[in-house]
Amino acid sequence: MKKIRICLLALTMFPFLLSSCAEKQVIRAQQEQTEITLSWWGNDDRNEYTIEAVREFERLHPEIKVKCSYSEWSGYESRSRVQMVSATEADVMQINFSWLSQYSPDGKGYYNIEDLSDVIDLSNFSEEMLAYGRRGGILNAIPIAMNTETLYINKTLYQSYGLDVPQTWDDLFHAAAVMKKDDIYPFGAAAKSVWLYFITYAEQVSGKPFMKDDHSIGFSAAEFQLMVELYVRMIQEHVMPQVEYFERINIDNSIYGGTVAWVSDAENYLGNAMKNGNEVVVADYTAITPEQTGKGWYAKPATLYAVSVNTDHPTEAAQLLDFLLNSQEMALLQGIEKGIPLSASARSWLEEENMLNGLQYEASLCMEQTEGLSPMYPFMENTNMLNAFIDACNAVLYEKQTAEDAGKELYKMALSGLKG
Amino acid sequence: MADKETEKAKMQNVSRLKLSLITGYGLIVIAAVLFVSVIAVKKTDAVLKNQASSMVSSLNVQMKMNMNSYLSRMETIGTLAFAEESSYRYDATDPNNDEYEALNTEKLISDKLYSLCIMENFVDYGIVYRNNHTVGKISNGTATLFNDHLFTDLSQIVSRQRTKDGWTAGYQDNFKRIYYVKQIHENALLVISFYASELQSVFDNPETINGMEIRLTNQNQDIIYSSQSYEVGLPLSPEIAERVQNQSSATVIDNAYLVSVNTCGDDWYVICSIPTKQILREKNEMQLYILFAGLIAAVLAVAMGAILSVKLAEPVTNIVSELDTMAHIDQLTGILNKRSFEEYTENRLAHAFNFEEHALILIDIDNFKGVNDTLGHSYGDKVLSAVGGMMRTVFPDQDYLGRIGGDEFAVFLNTSESDMNYESYVSSKCEALCEGFRNHYTGDDGKYKISASIGVALFPGHGKTFKELYKNADQALYASKHRGKDTYTIFGSQEGKL
Repeated sequence: MKKIRICLLALTMFPFLLSSCAEKQVIRAQQEQTEITLSWWGNDDRNEYTIEAVREFERLHPEIKVKCSYSEWSGYESRSRVQMVSATEADVMQINFSWLSQYSPDGKGYYNIEDLSDVIDLSNFSEEMLAYGRRGGILNAIPIAMNTETLYINKTLYQSYGLDVPQTWDDLFHAAAVMKKDDIYPFGAAAKSVWLYFITYAEQVSGKPFMKDDHSIGFSAAEFQLMVELYVRMIQEHVMPQVEYFERINIDNSIYGGTVAWVSDAENYLGNAMKNGNEVVVADYTAITPEQTGKGWYAKPATLYAVSVNTDHPTEAAQLLDFLLNSQEMALLQGIEKGIPLSASARSWLEEENMLNGLQYEASLCMEQTEGLSPMYPFMENTNMLNAFIDACNAVLYEKQTAEDAGKELYKMALSGLKG
Repeated sequence: MADKETEKAKMQNVSRLKLSLITGYGLIVIAAVLFVSVIAVKKTDAVLKNQASSMVSSLNVQMKMNMNSYLSRMETIGTLAFAEESSYRYDATDPNNDEYEALNTEKLISDKLYSLCIMENFVDYGIVYRNNHTVGKISNGTATLFNDHLFTDLSQIVSRQRTKDGWTAGYQDNFKRIYYVKQIHENALLVISFYASELQSVFDNPETINGMEIRLTNQNQDIIYSSQSYEVGLPLSPEIAERVQNQSSATVIDNAYLVSVNTCGDDWYVICSIPTKQILREKNEMQLYILFAGLIAAVLAVAMGAILSVKLAEPVTNIVSELDTMAHIDQLTGILNKRSFEEYTENRLAHAFNFEEHALILIDIDNFKGVNDTLGHSYGDKVLSAVGGMMRTVFPDQDYLGRIGGDEFAVFLNTSESDMNYESYVSSKCEALCEGFRNHYTGDDGKYKISASIGVALFPGHGKTFKELYKNADQALYASKHRGKDTYTIFGSQEGKL
């Protein structure tokens, strides 16, 4: 009977036991993610493949969430400046070569990437290439590819006017004289490309470098005057449209016979024109005579990746950076959109997939094979100088100022810019 | 012995009854538990569906609010463009514009616009004039997409009369970008655009229910955003579309889908959907728990029932067994009473074949009255009891032994000896019985000698029924008495065999 009582008691207690289980506190762990930020500038293609690559990275690293901050180039530089000075910069940044000297003159403005070398495979880069990203001996950034301004010509359009691909400045003026009747321009370009293109012209004409080896200004007011005069003349003789009226769609529509753009922008700028059935070629670097091709032209890392010196998550940032530089996924998505990758790993993936071809590849080869290209000085990309140059050109164009005065003002500004 | 077999048979009946009771009880308990479990599961279904509906509905409302908030922020940034006076005063289509001043004004406007959208992931943030001239950031992608129709088609996006603005996605089936357009004046439109993928920040929810899809569609039910990015630009699947048809704010659940819809922004719809089976998958787990608990409860109940049944049935079985014994057994001698003896014997004879051999032996104690009168009834009872014991000693268990009167006993032989003539076998038993009486029952002082007279009738020769055999055995018994008692007589021989 005792056993029966125990059994009955156990049976009676069973529901209470169950109900007491049901009231137990339940704790459900939420998915914790480390959020890091990535910023870049670029066109539609770059934005799309970078976003896709980020999603792939997040899939591979579910513990990391990447917040993207991107824009087209115009306006991006201002955003970057605001972020850098307000310490709200992204953890991983695509940066421009000139920003290294601007934001990290002593190498302390960005994270020392060599401290993250256990995560980032730096062996994919030669020391010569990494040197582009060093400031004060500190590895602040890793270059993605090399870049230079290049003249791309719609050969089909030129041939329709009986013109050869231009090699000299005179060829461009000659083409303008032929094409003007149809309101066609031999080329069109954005402000920055025009600025760098005309520096080349002034160097070739004057024989002076824009900057000296000691990083002081090599140009005088006369060379700036040459640049302004060239701009005014090119507008007046219908060689190119004013930079304010430059519209890339007019390359697609064969209203511009060519454009000056970075190697990394070749597909982006000329892709539609080629899709429209035009043969687009990489022209020789414009010179006074064909033999001088390459003189006064500059090359630089296309873009670089840097890590914020203020990042709270250096390891995660390094994981993302390694993925962007060296992974197969990113290499295949990116292709040669930014130029031929400097990462040996990324380049091998592209070779394996036979992706090293096309206009951008041809422009890269031209850059590698042409002698005389000099490493670009960061000051050459100074935005204030560029804006001042365009303003000066307009002032001269609309007869508000003389070219001589404009040259003097630009020279003064260069002096003060370099001092500042 | 006959009484043991009978008892065994009765006990088997009781056991069968007991087993039936336990089985029946078990089945009832299992059925009850199943019934309760099914009710619980059904109720769980309903509760779970309600809870899931409520949760998805609330998530959907939250997503709608997020979306409205996001769109509102974009509209606010658009409105900020009016902070620069020249942005709404300047008209690039005015033929009287001084070209140089116009350039500077446009630069001023551009700078203002750039500064306003400096931290936004905008693809476009600029002004488009009726002559398709643009100021600010108008991307090549947009210029290519709209081409010569830039102003005219963008102006079609303005749908709200009061604020003169509007949203669109899917222009020329391009769903990569979302456009917001606000009229500045009759010849100018402010344009903001961003990638649809930006909406991930609006709809991203890592803690969402497994299997739930979140979509944003336009009024044509084309997908503007989906948690499955490949769906962007495709029409909403028919099974979801039919459930949200003509609904602006509702949650629908049926056997296939749970769908929640809410209108947001400019006639766009935030739609959350999840296959019902996905929700009920969690229920299935719960169902397993319920059924498992039910099963345990049933097993416990059946086990307890069985134990209780056994425990409760034991005394009853004993009482029944005792009563049964009392009904069949003579209490004094421990052998069958008259009724039972007759019943068993008749029953056995009814099924006997003619080639079988049996014998009915009637035994009458001689001078038993003298024992009672002289030694008392209690001693007489002892004698009767001893006779029962003696009979059990002489006859095997298979034979039926009975007390059929005060001092009269009977034996129905079921046994035989294969190497002995049957009559001789019967004689040997009778002789052994007589000898037993002679040796043991002589009283305390030997004054009263006790003996027995025995009559025997054989089956089938002397009768085939109990009545016939009894009658003939009784005649033989009478013959034994007549011959001087203390002897046995086999019917037909009419001679004692001592």
